[in-house]
Amino acid sequence: MKKQYDFRTNRFYNSNHLWIKENDSGHVTVGMDELGLDSLGEMAYLTLPDVGTPVEMGKAMGTMEAAKMTGEIYAPVTGFVVEKNEAVLQNPLLVNEEPYDNGWLVKIEPTNWEDESAGMVTGNYLSAWIDAEIERFETQGILG
Amino acid sequence: MTTWRYIKNDNVTASAGLAADEVLANCSGAGTSLPTLRLYTYQPCALVGRFQTIENELNLNYCVENKIPVNRRPTGGGAIIMGQDQLGVALVIPGKSDETYALVRERMAQFSQGIISGLATLGIEVEFRRKNDLEVNGKKIAGLGLHKTATSGLLFHASLLVDLDVPNMLNVLKTPFEKISDKEISTVSERTTTVRREIDTNLNNNEVRTIILNGYRNAFQVDIQKGDFTKSELEEIHQLEKNKYCDRDWIFQTTDVLDATGKDVVKTPGGMLDVQIVLAGKMIKSAYIGGDFFTSEHAIADLEQSLRWHSSNENSVSETLSKIYERWSEDLTNLPMDALIKAINSAIQKAAHTARKASADPYGCFVTPGGAHA
Repeated sequence: MKKQYDFRTNRFYNSNHLWIKENDSGHVTVGMDELGLDSLGEMAYLTLPDVGTPVEMGKAMGTMEAAKMTGEIYAPVTGFVVEKNEAVLQNPLLVNEEPYDNGWLVKIEPTNWEDESAGMVTGNYLSAWIDAEIERFETQGILG
Repeated sequence: MTTWRYIKNDNVTASAGLAADEVLANCSGAGTSLPTLRLYTYQPCALVGRFQTIENELNLNYCVENKIPVNRRPTGGGAIIMGQDQLGVALVIPGKSDETYALVRERMAQFSQGIISGLATLGIEVEFRRKNDLEVNGKKIAGLGLHKTATSGLLFHASLLVDLDVPNMLNVLKTPFEKISDKEISTVSERTTTVRREIDTNLNNNEVRTIILNGYRNAFQVDIQKGDFTKSELEEIHQLEKNKYCDRDWIFQTTDVLDATGKDVVKTPGGMLDVQIVLAGKMIKSAYIGGDFFTSEHAIADLEQSLRWHSSNENSVSETLSKIYERWSEDLTNLPMDALIKAINSAIQKAAHTARKASADPYGCFVTPGGAHA
């Protein structure tokens, strides 16, 4: 039986399996989705940019260690960091346990949201994209 | 047929060796260097994982007194000693931009195949353990790490135990043992193994290196040609060594995730059970299970390994231990699972309590104002 993954429909997703949610304030909240986290495993350490730091879409904004893999966390949008989640810095496992709620990473004030969000997946396209991603992961032997 | 470059180095310093791996991975990711397999040895040194707090992992006084350099890897995992009897294996290849958070577990298993294939020619059957170890009959023979650079280069790193001076390692690394006697040395020796011990022959480093090199040729079906660093790579290595791996801010950096230790000792029908848990946040960073009950060291090593980098959630711990007990049902009869789970959970609670106390007191035992080495 295929494993089920929770994807919230009220947000955008990018190819790095980060989710991006628009807030009423015009800021966006960023986190990791369940499919990406399932492959990556349990999060051991995280670093995130300080409030006020400019970030650029596709460029590193933080680092992480999951099990024994280390790497960068790439900003999904361009803008300025307005808040970072201190709770996940002290308890990175929260990212795995509550990826769409308390496990968020940073909040960003985007400066080019309209253009950059056009390259993300959301709404009616979400279901087909999730199926394709699961298929891609399975074909490449990522899950199982 | 795809071509890789092979670089052989010996006796490199910690800072130069780490800088070389990172530069190769960066250049490979950027497409300016060939995929490269580097097999090398370090001058004696101690290396901690990317986010570890060095004071928690190494006996720094002992390292200073014995002139053992310490440094920090870009890869994750635990502290290790390196020297002429530990073969460094670094494989760098370009990654794909769309696999940032994917393929991690599988990449690690795939990259290990060269070592597994090479050692198989010596009759050593090596098993990849899902998290980060290569083992022979439950005993660790190599530690593994994976790092993805900003250029999407992938650095796979392994330290293969050709031989191991266990007393020296126990002096360099901080351990759960209060003292280091023959018993502790024997315990650790039972949970690790080396190439030389497995084949009972004194193979020299170059012979092991050739075996691993051929293992990669066989496993990946690639043409691996002997080469060396290019001039521009050497310049970058020199710069990175100076700016990063010789920089105390890199080596002695700390993290927001506090380490905290909890212990529990319980009496079981099979004897005294002594459990020590180190938590990093809510993650179990390491587990030590000791005591005077009679059981297989392999089974204990498996239990400890299964809890490394594991959630401290009670149900999750129980689920994992149940699987290990199924695997070692006969060997663990003297250690009741219920008693072990109870002791582990108690140690976790104590560690969590210590962490909360340290967090409430910012200048407690985990944090030194201004940084430990400022």
